[in-house]
Amino acid sequence: MSSSVNLERLYDEHAQAIFAFVLNLLRHESDTRDVLQELFIKVARDARLLEGVLDHRGFLLRLAHNQAIDLIRRRAARDRNYEQLAEEKSALFATSEDPDQKALADSLAEALDELPPEQRAVVHLKLWERLTFEQIAATLDISPNTAASRYRYAIDKLRARLRLLYDEFK
Amino acid sequence: MNSDFEERLRRQSIRPIPTEWRKEILRAARAQPAASPWWREWLWPCPQAWAGLAAAWGIILLLNVTALEEKSATGQVASASRQDFAFLRQETEIIARLSDFEENRPSPAPSPAALQPRSSRRVKQFIG
Repeated sequence: MSSSVNLERLYDEHAQAIFAFVLNLLRHESDTRDVLQELFIKVARDARLLEGVLDHRGFLLRLAHNQAIDLIRRRAARDRNYEQLAEEKSALFATSEDPDQKALADSLAEALDELPPEQRAVVHLKLWERLTFEQIAATLDISPNTAASRYRYAIDKLRARLRLLYDEFK
Repeated sequence: MNSDFEERLRRQSIRPIPTEWRKEILRAARAQPAASPWWREWLWPCPQAWAGLAAAWGIILLLNVTALEEKSATGQVASASRQDFAFLRQETEIIARLSDFEENRPSPAPSPAALQPRSSRRVKQFIG
């Protein structure tokens, strides 16, 4: 088995999805890159990781989620100990020429940022990865009911936060 | 069932991954050595301790082998002793048989002088 060929294929098929998911969780481009690189190094070092795995995307998202959560915890500990310098958040959505789209994208990014990471993860997987609650549950190692309830809470918050803007666009 | 609101959110496309990352990440991933076998990973944290333990076992094995050799040498001595003992027993039996023979042999008849009283034997000596 040629691990380099598999790595390239894995990257081409899944890197964009992992990037979007981790960027949504961390909102920091260089941290996202670190997570992505660490993930591919892990897979390259031990090809057995993917043996018997049918859903590569789900498996890689799960690894990426765990790494991102570790990073969020380390950041929290660091922020408790040191005065946090103002960090510019990386853009989440693609830039748009349409001012309405841009306004919605900016507001949505801000609203997502206000969600706790566990709700944000569920929202991302549901909306942008189009996973079912069962798949989300398997990816995040939670029950489907928990996934569904986190999603409902998150959507309610987003709806409340974006109501004015959304009503304008309707 | 997704609401219009959710569909609207979904239509926001997340920005693409920077293209230059692909080459860098794959190069970094390929540069990693393959994972070691499990036993090496297990031993790796304290190789000196494991080497010391292996050396101790080597010494124990060596002592054990030496002790076995000594034991077998002692066994040879024991078997030699048994042979010697049998030889000694044989010789003792021969000596015993010989001494029986000596004891049972008829003693020579006493001389007529020896049968006489000491006083008369002495007189005879001075006279004759």
